[in-house]
Amino acid sequence: MTLASPTHKKVGLLRNRAATGHDPLEATPSFCSAVAAACSCSCSSVCRHITTSPAGNNIQVGQLNMAHVSTDQLLQLETTCGSFLYELQIIWDEVGETDTERDKMLLELEQECLEVYRRKVDQANRYRAQLRQTIADSEAELAAICSAMGEPPVHTKQPTQRVGNLKEELNSITPQLEEMRKRKGERLKQFLEVMEQIRNISVEVMPSEYSPSRHVDESDLSIRKLEELYRQLESLQKEKNDRLKQIMDHLSTLNELCSVLGVAFKETVREIHPTLDDTEASKSISNVTIERLATAIGRLREIKIERMQKLQDLASTMLELWNLMDTPIEEQQLFQNVTCNIAASEEEITESNTLSVDFLSYVEEEVLRLEQLKVSKMKELVLKKKTELEELRRQGHLVVEEAENEPEVAISAIESGAIDASFVLNQIEGQIAEVKEEAFSRKDILERVEKWLAACEEEAWLEEYNRDENRYNAGRGAHLTLKRAEKARALINKIPGMVDTLVAKITQWEKERGIGFTYDGVRLLTMLGEYTIVRQEKEQERKRQRDQKKLQGQLIAEQEALYGSKPSPSKPQSAKKVPRTSTGGSNRRLSFGGAATLQTPKPDYMHSAKSTRTAKKLDDLGSRGLDIAGLPVKKLSYNDAITKHQEVGMPRKPFASLIPVNTIPSAPSMPVIASTLEENQAPNTMLLLTPKNPATAAAVPMHVASTPAPTCLVNDGKLSVVASVEETEYSFEERRLAFYVGGR
Amino acid sequence: MSTATTTPTGGRELSQPPSDGISNLRFSNHSDLLLVSSWDKTLRLYDVGENVLKAEFLHAGPVLDCCFHDDSSGFSASADHTVRRYAFGSGKEDFLGRHDAPVRCVEYSYAAGQVITGSWDKTLKCWDPRGANSSDRALVGTYLQPERVYSLSLVGYRLVVATAGRHVNVYDLRNMSQPEQRRESSLKYQTRSVRCYPNGTGFALSSIEGRVAMEFFDLSEAAQAKKYAFKCHRKSEAGRDIVYPVNAMAFHPIYGTFATGGCDGYVNVWDGNNKKRLYQYSKYPTSIAALSFSRDGLLLAVASSYTYEEGEILHEPDAIFVRNINEVEVKPKPKALPVPPP
Repeated sequence: MTLASPTHKKVGLLRNRAATGHDPLEATPSFCSAVAAACSCSCSSVCRHITTSPAGNNIQVGQLNMAHVSTDQLLQLETTCGSFLYELQIIWDEVGETDTERDKMLLELEQECLEVYRRKVDQANRYRAQLRQTIADSEAELAAICSAMGEPPVHTKQPTQRVGNLKEELNSITPQLEEMRKRKGERLKQFLEVMEQIRNISVEVMPSEYSPSRHVDESDLSIRKLEELYRQLESLQKEKNDRLKQIMDHLSTLNELCSVLGVAFKETVREIHPTLDDTEASKSISNVTIERLATAIGRLREIKIERMQKLQDLASTMLELWNLMDTPIEEQQLFQNVTCNIAASEEEITESNTLSVDFLSYVEEEVLRLEQLKVSKMKELVLKKKTELEELRRQGHLVVEEAENEPEVAISAIESGAIDASFVLNQIEGQIAEVKEEAFSRKDILERVEKWLAACEEEAWLEEYNRDENRYNAGRGAHLTLKRAEKARALINKIPGMVDTLVAKITQWEKERGIGFTYDGVRLLTMLGEYTIVRQEKEQERKRQRDQKKLQGQLIAEQEALYGSKPSPSKPQSAKKVPRTSTGGSNRRLSFGGAATLQTPKPDYMHSAKSTRTAKKLDDLGSRGLDIAGLPVKKLSYNDAITKHQEVGMPRKPFASLIPVNTIPSAPSMPVIASTLEENQAPNTMLLLTPKNPATAAAVPMHVASTPAPTCLVNDGKLSVVASVEETEYSFEERRLAFYVGGR
Repeated sequence: MSTATTTPTGGRELSQPPSDGISNLRFSNHSDLLLVSSWDKTLRLYDVGENVLKAEFLHAGPVLDCCFHDDSSGFSASADHTVRRYAFGSGKEDFLGRHDAPVRCVEYSYAAGQVITGSWDKTLKCWDPRGANSSDRALVGTYLQPERVYSLSLVGYRLVVATAGRHVNVYDLRNMSQPEQRRESSLKYQTRSVRCYPNGTGFALSSIEGRVAMEFFDLSEAAQAKKYAFKCHRKSEAGRDIVYPVNAMAFHPIYGTFATGGCDGYVNVWDGNNKKRLYQYSKYPTSIAALSFSRDGLLLAVASSYTYEEGEILHEPDAIFVRNINEVEVKPKPKALPVPPP
């Protein structure tokens, strides 16, 4: 039993310690367990004794313990341990364990209890260290967050002010940390937002240059930094706005230019940047875009200036042409919008389409048209001037050989553009002035030439007149002719004098100028020379005739001496009609030319007349009356048959002598009687007339005899048909209309 | 020959003449206005005193004849088959009606107040100008003719119609149902023109063969004995006579003498009663297409215009000359005593 005392002592000590140091023994499990362990060690030997009736024994034990310790748990525990030791002692006793074995067992129990204690202490120690570490960590994090946020640490651990134990400390620091973490998260979000905006704007402004990381430097999340970022954002936004404004400015300028130039604005803009065209989408504001816009504007402005200059050139040309051609106001009004810009500066031209290609070409076309008009007018003017020149030349009897083709040459040259019309015009005007001057210098001589020519004409007339055997016959107007002849003689006497003065004048003129004086291209001196020669020849001829006449007179006188009465010398037949035709007094020639011959009706002619009545009638008709041809020849035809028929008819013997007299030997002498006979077949109305006027027809032998065909109709096959009345005849007008219609 | 002296010029030439053949011209009965119809499709009105073209009316076809209505209006006969009336002042055009063929001639009768037209459709039509523009109201009557109408002339109520085939019909305007007389031309060749004597006793007829017949309405033997024909507008050249058509005749309103114009370009003035030629004017550039004396007989309008006698050839430009008439040129002369033969 000695052994039990140490165990008791130890348990007691345990019990004491528990009783003195820790009142609530139940609250510290490690202590309880230690006590339990101690108990169990001491009890293990006891337990071995109670295996047969565990339940009855337990209650027993409990009753026992209750009896020992009433309220104290330790006491209870100690009781348990003690009971265990007791049980162990009982068991040992029962078993008969040796004491050594028992001691060994008890030592083992002691050692095991110690081990448990040590483990628990270590555990508690570790927990404490962990707790301390956690607190330190939290504090450090808190400090870091505070510093990152640029805030003073809300609350730092003061060793002096330590509050409570470790767990309390931890509990106080944890909410602070949580709070700070939340704030940091918020700040970070703000930063990210701002930076995202900055990034967006920067990308818009300079997409190529800007490539920032999306990374946020978490070490500096201070308000200052945030503000800095805000400022940056603000400045960027401002820049963006500026750029937008600039682009809008550019766009409006561009729009204006496009409208003025008539260029499609949208397409131009789309070419620069597709977003610019879109009204809704945000517009590209990069440097490149702005630059491109500026270039486009510059380019368009250049075009505008170029076109404006062109337009102004056109306008000024147009104005010039208008002035030149007196274009009517209505026509001018159409181009008022062109000419009003003539002095405008580039900025002043704002009206849309004023400088479009279409409009320019339209104006150009008008100018071209005006130019052509001008050319044609110039041509007209040139022609007019040419005519004037020619007229002047004609008046001055100036002949310029090369002038013939000049107008055509000039016109074709103007048309081909080889020569400027105004140049030609100037040239012609120069020529006109020249010709005028020349005409003036020639005027005096020309007047004299005219006089001379008039005198020559009179001379010719007089010559002809002198040859007319019947010139002294009394007739209407005969006294006038006589007067004229008288005047003509006086004038003719002056001719040599005129010619002399003329020659003198011309020689002087030619000497002064050193060129020959031409009259209608012929040298006047030559003309005068020729005239003088001819005149001399005539003079000689006249002289010769006078001599001959004298000789004839002598001859007649001799004959008279021999045979008596003297024949009238007044009718040399050869002088009858010859001069009339040769002298070309065509105006004076009458259509019924027989009058001249019949002025002195010959006896044989009278003979042929059927009655005195007709003869009388014939007389006044013949002298100057109507050319009455009873009725027309039955067939006025163009074929030989008729002519033959006429020839076969009764030859008009009494007139045979007349034919050579009339110098128309070839004229077939148309038998008047034959024709009158034929007239018997004429309509009744005419019958009365025919027998009464047979001779009247004969009054005009020349006409009746040779009425061949109206030559004007000869060529016309159709009209020969007209002769036969049965077939369709047509008047000139009908044929003309047929041609007219056919010609259309 | 000394009686027929020529004058140096053809008279005053009117400016702005028609551009194609002149078919007819007529002086007004009230003034010196001259109405001219032409193949250039126009009807023109000239003031001869002022020498200005006062009005011009374009037609669809050549205008073949024209005449005055009163001083301010006139009628035209066109190859487009129509008959029209023109008011010169307003330029108003009235459509009278149409023939079935080109209308060759038109006359206005002051006595009957009717327009008479002759056409190549072988009819004569009378129109009442007051019914113009209302279809068929203007037409008074249509009268068949034996042939195409070539020329018309009026004196008083008498109307003489000359047609192709040398027919001549004489009508009384008061009874148009039948011709008063049906005659055949006393000339052997196509009739060119017919003109009544101003004294109303007869008419002159000209043909394409240089001849003019003088005829009388009175059918008594004594009156018919007076009728005759004479040759004119001929030329003797190299032994051949050239005979020209006589296109136009115009009687002097006071003396009753008349002028003839031929394709030879000459205008002759004749005294029909005394069978004498009074005057020959100098030759005109081309054929004489028409002649007209002014109301007082002091002016003679001469259309010198190619009349297509030789077909389509080059010819002188068409021109209108107006010459002042000397009394000597148109006044009948008393019969001169025959000059005794020496």
